[in-house]
Amino acid sequence: MKKNYYELTFIVNAVLDEEQIKASVQKYKDFITNGGAEIEEIDEWGIQRFTYEMDGKNSGYYVNAFFTAPVDLIAKMERQMLIDDNILRFLTLKYDNKMLHHRDLQKKGKLPVVFEPREKEAAEES
Amino acid sequence: MLKNPQHPKKGNLRNKECKFSKAGVIYIDYKDVKTLQRFTNDQGKILPRRVTGTSARYQRQLTKAIKRARHLGMMPFVAENLR
Repeated sequence: MKKNYYELTFIVNAVLDEEQIKASVQKYKDFITNGGAEIEEIDEWGIQRFTYEMDGKNSGYYVNAFFTAPVDLIAKMERQMLIDDNILRFLTLKYDNKMLHHRDLQKKGKLPVVFEPREKEAAEES
Repeated sequence: MLKNPQHPKKGNLRNKECKFSKAGVIYIDYKDVKTLQRFTNDQGKILPRRVTGTSARYQRQLTKAIKRARHLGMMPFVAENLR
């Protein structure tokens, strides 16, 4: 079965308590690994505020994952996410060669910088 | 236009170069919101190429990235500036 490199970002409803959020994130981790995918990296950004109100909520628990998965797994996973009402939004991207090259640079930390952080931003960051 | 010495733009007509090709960007990621925000105005609208000077290839990637960020609630569709 052909495998592709995917990036998945989804938002879990932040109104739930801590265990339920962890449980639903874990549910999808297991769903992907059982489906024959290898998860390369999972990066949980935690609860972030939205820039606009999304069906009554102002913040959500963001999860960002990179994995290689067989081709037919994505449709099943997305169907699960549509049914599951704990998941507010999700976005799955298939990585083509250009994005893969970008991903390698990102891993090595040599991404081209478009804007050097200005003094006031640098002050905030440092 | 430029031969007329009194033309207002006579002195400072410099063509803006594309920030992305200067930096050698391969793919504009929808996650680095800080860079994307530099290409939207204070109402959250995407700035046109004639204002930012970005080349067509990167402008297409830029709009796709901004729309993905908006879908995930990371960037505003309409940023209501506090009057």
